[in-house]
Amino acid sequence: MKLLSVIIKSLKEQWRSFWILALTLSMGPFFAAVYYLIIETSKPHYDVAIINNDKGYNFRSESVNIGEEFIRFFEKSVKDSLNMPFTISKVNNEAEAIEALKNKKKDALVIIPENFSAQLERHLYDKSTRPVKIRFYGDLTNINYLLSAMWANEALNSFFREATGTNEFIKIAETGIGTSSSLSDFEMVIPGILIVSIIMLMFPATIAFVAEVENKTILRLKLSKITSLQFITGLTVVQVLVGIASILLTLLTAIILGFDYRGSAALFILTATLTSISIIAFSLIIAAVTKTANEVLIAGNFPLFLFMFFTGAAFPLRTEGLFSVFGYPVTLQGLMSPTHAISALNKILIMEMKLRDIIPELIALIILSVVYFIAGMIMFRNRHMTLK
Amino acid sequence: MSASSSETVINITGLTKHFKDLTAVDNISFNVFKGEIFGLLGPNGAGKTTTINMICGLLPASAGRIDFQSRGLKEVKSHIGYCPQENIFFPKLTCFEQLVFIGNMYDLPPGMCGERAGYLLDLLGLTGKSKVCAKKLSGGMKRRLNIALALIHDPHILILDEPEAGLDPQSRVLIRDFIKSLSQEKTIILTSHNMDEVDRLADRVAIMDYGKIMLIDTPYNLKNSIGEGDVLEIEILEASSDKTSALISKLKNEYNVILSNNLLIVKAIHLVDKIPAITSSIKEAGLTIKEIKLRENTLEDVFIYLTGRMLRQ
Repeated sequence: MKLLSVIIKSLKEQWRSFWILALTLSMGPFFAAVYYLIIETSKPHYDVAIINNDKGYNFRSESVNIGEEFIRFFEKSVKDSLNMPFTISKVNNEAEAIEALKNKKKDALVIIPENFSAQLERHLYDKSTRPVKIRFYGDLTNINYLLSAMWANEALNSFFREATGTNEFIKIAETGIGTSSSLSDFEMVIPGILIVSIIMLMFPATIAFVAEVENKTILRLKLSKITSLQFITGLTVVQVLVGIASILLTLLTAIILGFDYRGSAALFILTATLTSISIIAFSLIIAAVTKTANEVLIAGNFPLFLFMFFTGAAFPLRTEGLFSVFGYPVTLQGLMSPTHAISALNKILIMEMKLRDIIPELIALIILSVVYFIAGMIMFRNRHMTLK
Repeated sequence: MSASSSETVINITGLTKHFKDLTAVDNISFNVFKGEIFGLLGPNGAGKTTTINMICGLLPASAGRIDFQSRGLKEVKSHIGYCPQENIFFPKLTCFEQLVFIGNMYDLPPGMCGERAGYLLDLLGLTGKSKVCAKKLSGGMKRRLNIALALIHDPHILILDEPEAGLDPQSRVLIRDFIKSLSQEKTIILTSHNMDEVDRLADRVAIMDYGKIMLIDTPYNLKNSIGEGDVLEIEILEASSDKTSALISKLKNEYNVILSNNLLIVKAIHLVDKIPAITSSIKEAGLTIKEIKLRENTLEDVFIYLTGRMLRQ
């Protein structure tokens, strides 16, 4: 009888906390829908740039350029036999192409050497001719590079098998851009892990806001002269410090475990600060719709899950831009600030890039922080801090 | 009792609060004068807390107006000190720290925050606990801290919701004396369902029930004008029926009289003045008085007379 009474009471309580029940029940369907959206909007696409430096040779007073023939072969084989969205584009400037790789505008760069045709022509008569060296460039931490390079290599092998009956004629030289070639698997995941340490700020930051509501001390603040902006800013400052301390501790741990720190410390701190602000601002939105720490723990799971698994924080994520703004791709995941923070940290720590290279990420972080903060402050003020 | 003026500090007109189908406060109007202690007396659920929550701006009114000398709440909110019924404090701050914190929230100069915090802690007997976290205080101490938090910014108007609720007798006396001492300089509104508390403290009392104000007057006037009045119980030695019948017939012309065994119960307004005349009548009837007890008319009696029921606890 006692057990039945407890069950009935608990059922009533659950039903009367209707929105928490609704959130709990909708968690699975919601994530299924989000997965669908993410996968549908981020179908794989591989962008390979080719620089053809081949000078060709003259055969019976006709100019022959086998580099061009290879490019046509590659394009045809991609179209005919590969059921994959490959884009092959010819470029001329090597420095610009490498910059595009760093900014993930291209996935791989293949450079055909000047003596490509001449060496091949010579090889047809003299099998002892030195192999021709084809250079591959890419970010070794980028999954798209690995796939692009694999298919480009396969195309080269096929081309030479058809042309010479052997593929011993070519030698691939791979160059990882930035420090990606010298990084261990552990080092490659560090930017994401560093951002995870700030994402985890979401719960304590939200609870810091909600504690005032739960303890009803918000009443004293409401009656006093403090404004919502002052109160929220005060708590935010403390939480930003916690966020920076958290990321520094994580970095220190990573360094102790073998992470070789590179890049600008100032840019690192700047990115960490902006990311902390954006996470705390998002926490404010959660605090606005909750009243107790228990509610925070339930409601906070949604954004935490999204921020952890759909921004590249927990593992590398393949993304496709919905559209681009001044060349910077805008993705669905880009609505979440950690996406940009991870991109910025990758550029700072892996590519050793400078301020001008991470300006799009910083602008995105600032815009998202401001949007989250304004939304959160208005919601929190109206729900918890307004005298009637 | 404090000396209040006739200057209106708070003017409430037609104040109403609905919670869905429930009317918690039903079209009430009253004024609170400068320097007075104004008591809202009523049972739990009468609408007292809802009324003061609307005065403080913590609840929106469904209808009616609240004016603070023709000013709105936002203009005067820093002049109001509110001590809620529930003890509300920052559990992880010491007594001193949270008084200073709230003082800062009211823009008190930094030096003054500490000074006032020390002064209030001393006044409320909490000096020895100034460095103790609030959550570790006893119930009575938490209550005192709650009052100190309402006073840190030296408000002109102090609103106390059930200030003595849940206190031991010693703390109750301490807080009562403290409130009395404040009435010299502040306008105080207090709510209570304890008629003794209101009777001892308030200059004027509004009796509330079911969201309505039934009467507003001084406790003295209420007790001396409403109800059956004071109660005099006279025990008579060896009362014979002939003598007592004659006596009752005589007294009934002026008083409400009941005889139960040897106990003669007389009820009337201002009965104290009439005791000599009553005792003379008893002696004239040839009866001997063994014991006399006088119980004054209380606010509880007034409430029972007005509502037909007792103040619920």
